[in-house]
Amino acid sequence: MREQAPRVWMRGIHKVYPDGTAALKGVDFHVHAGEIVALLGENGAGKTTLMKVLSGLLRPTRGEVWVDGRPVHFRNPSDALRCGIGMVHQVFTLVPPFTALQNVLLGQEGTRVLSPLPEASARASVQALLEEVGLEVPLDVPVESLPVGVQQRVEICKTLYRGTSVLILDEPTSALTPVEVDEFFRFLSRLRDRGTAIVLITHKLREVLEVSDRVVVLRQGVVAGELPTSSATAEKLAELMVGQLTALRVRRTPRAPGQPVLSVRGLTVRNDQGRVAVRDLSFDVREGEILGVAGVEGNGQSELVQALTGLRRPESGEVHLEGERVPFLEPLALYRRGLAHVPEDKARFGLALGFDLVENSILGRQREPQFLSWLGRLNRPVILRYAQELVRRFHVVAPDLATPVRSLSGGNQQRLLVGREISKEPRLVVAMHPTRGLDVASTLYIRELLVQMRDAGKAVLLVSADLDEVLELSDRIAVMYAGQFVGLGPAEAFRRETVGLLMGGVVPAGDADAARAPSPH
Amino acid sequence: MRTPRALRPLIESLATVALGLVAGGLLIWAFGHSPVAAYRALAVGAFGTREDLLETLAFATPLMLTALTFAVGVRGGLFNIGAEGQMYLGAVGATFVAGMVPMPAGVHLAAATLAGMLAGALWALIPAVLKAWRGAHEVISTIMCNWIALHLSMYLAINFLAEPGRAERTVPALPTARYPVLSEESTLTAVVFVAVAFALLVYAYLWGTRAGYELRLAGENPDAARYAGVRPERVVVLSFVIGGLAAGLAGASQVIGRPPAWSLYATLGNVTTLGFDGIGVALVGRNHPVGGILAAVLFGALAKGGRLMEYEVGVLSELVRALNGIIVLAMAVPELWNLVGRRLGR
Repeated sequence: MREQAPRVWMRGIHKVYPDGTAALKGVDFHVHAGEIVALLGENGAGKTTLMKVLSGLLRPTRGEVWVDGRPVHFRNPSDALRCGIGMVHQVFTLVPPFTALQNVLLGQEGTRVLSPLPEASARASVQALLEEVGLEVPLDVPVESLPVGVQQRVEICKTLYRGTSVLILDEPTSALTPVEVDEFFRFLSRLRDRGTAIVLITHKLREVLEVSDRVVVLRQGVVAGELPTSSATAEKLAELMVGQLTALRVRRTPRAPGQPVLSVRGLTVRNDQGRVAVRDLSFDVREGEILGVAGVEGNGQSELVQALTGLRRPESGEVHLEGERVPFLEPLALYRRGLAHVPEDKARFGLALGFDLVENSILGRQREPQFLSWLGRLNRPVILRYAQELVRRFHVVAPDLATPVRSLSGGNQQRLLVGREISKEPRLVVAMHPTRGLDVASTLYIRELLVQMRDAGKAVLLVSADLDEVLELSDRIAVMYAGQFVGLGPAEAFRRETVGLLMGGVVPAGDADAARAPSPH
Repeated sequence: MRTPRALRPLIESLATVALGLVAGGLLIWAFGHSPVAAYRALAVGAFGTREDLLETLAFATPLMLTALTFAVGVRGGLFNIGAEGQMYLGAVGATFVAGMVPMPAGVHLAAATLAGMLAGALWALIPAVLKAWRGAHEVISTIMCNWIALHLSMYLAINFLAEPGRAERTVPALPTARYPVLSEESTLTAVVFVAVAFALLVYAYLWGTRAGYELRLAGENPDAARYAGVRPERVVVLSFVIGGLAAGLAGASQVIGRPPAWSLYATLGNVTTLGFDGIGVALVGRNHPVGGILAAVLFGALAKGGRLMEYEVGVLSELVRALNGIIVLAMAVPELWNLVGRRLGR
């Protein structure tokens, strides 16, 4: 089909990490100019490792990288940049108080350490680049005050300004609203038409089908399949990705909800900067239902969950659990009243990575009498049995119980955490981003557990930036925007597009009823 | 065969010590001495006879305790470098009860020991309270407290505890408040058993109780500790108090557990730097109570054997202290190694 040599050709790439993990086992990969290649795979399949090799961040253990028909050996990202290869990472590398322009110019080749940034002289060329590729970026605003979507544009602009013609994007849509995603894809297409080669690392099937020209699927460090997007279907890609045809949907049977377990009235919470993040919020979560809160991150979801779980003191408002007001919102008091909390960042809140599985299995439960013997000593045998039980029941894969949790995969960490919380026999489960960053199998499993909780009559508050997750699991859906619920209603009342618009702060005309005046029920 | 996980830190520490000794050997060689002869003298001096070994343990006793102070701080997420001052106050407290408050035998010894420990803990409460309720950084406050403790202790020693007619030291501990000497040829007393027992007790507390678990959790991950309902102020106070008890015991051990003086010098000369030395000992002992005991024996051996090294080979005793420093510096090597590995290996 294509006559010219690929821009980039990677052959037989092996990568063994110092700890012995073989992340890549002989991967071939190429990308042409003017082509969008989707690099698809589960977490841990080797996508990011492969692209880190290409962008000079990692050196391959074996294998060759060819650029424009010549073999190259990158020692660092600057070497790769000189060949026109640049990567935009999931975690941005911007300096928050600096303006977009300053961030773009920072670290530019040729600038001296102590000389001021050539802002005046470079402004025109940055502006020209933005216009050429059709990106809108306010150049003189500190990036910390820009929304995540715009920050990402700054990051991309920074990479392009360095002369990148092979652009690698690592999960670029994870923080964008659906509207922003559409716009972003249009931008990628324009860039492709200009002749830029684009590699899109993703695990979202819809994105692959929508924007890419070709798909490369990685599974456990090898290429599981490669095909033009035109001949791909979601089912086929999913099968290549996980190796077997898994039901992508969790089964959920209709169920009549019962009494309210959690009642929130007039809750107002401030964020770390002192700004109101949750504004006068009222809602209920009832027995046997999942209330899903959708929304772009940063609209007060974190503060809401932290207040409900005792990690952040609310400014005002009341929280009732099973009809009884909780006077002090503190973790232990809430746990005693039946709260299970799957926190948004498992490594930050829910686990102590340096502790082993046994010690992590009682994190938050360490004061329960069943785990203690006289004089406040830990009852080792009981705790050990309990940890074994967790590992067995929730299929946690670990070499042994004395392994520090740090060396488990994200999926297994989350299985341990969710298992621990669920085995508390809670009345209310508050889960935030419960499947973020997990492999497909673990994602399905965690979602199933949440539905099981619901079926067992627990109240489940699910807060997630993953729209599909909210749509798939929830009995009722709320959309959070600027600290408030802009829509709250039965899941059937929401179409995907409606939620997408609400997430972006747009109240769709036809769905004004669902959006306006959210009642507590 | 993979190394059992529990032994890894021990092996790494031993490798570090070996590395430090090699580097120290180069230093000795650079000063024109034979490293082999010097180290032989060091080993003979530290472990040559039963008495040498006991004396090494006498040097190690206060170090394992001040190392414990630092280690408990780190385990709780604190950088407590106040062992020095807490130890001074411990020595003062023990001197007061042991030398000026007559009591029946048996009770007296226990009372003097406890007085030392409590004085250390009380002194540790100052930075603890400042940290827990005012957010004052413990590094700053403990350094300041160390200086205050130095001058306060000298003032107390000279003005209230001095032995009549002898300006250079305090009243000696009454015979009822002295730990039994274990061997006439060395200065080791039964206080070593108290020190080891206390270190083991702290170990059992940190790893075997709910409160110890919460303390280590707060040190490992403060956010997860909040999630688990742990109050950060409590952990700060608890870890400072345990550290203060250990440092106070270290100070007491040099007064009521160390012949021939059985008293505190007015210049505090028989206790100075023991608190700071404990930091290095704790690092080599991987901030573990048991590791601290082993590392203290090593540093005790360097202190004791260094004297023979000076006497026989002519190596300056300052070089021995330099050796201590090099070993502590070498502790940074594993991390440096990882860093280099990240640069080259990936």
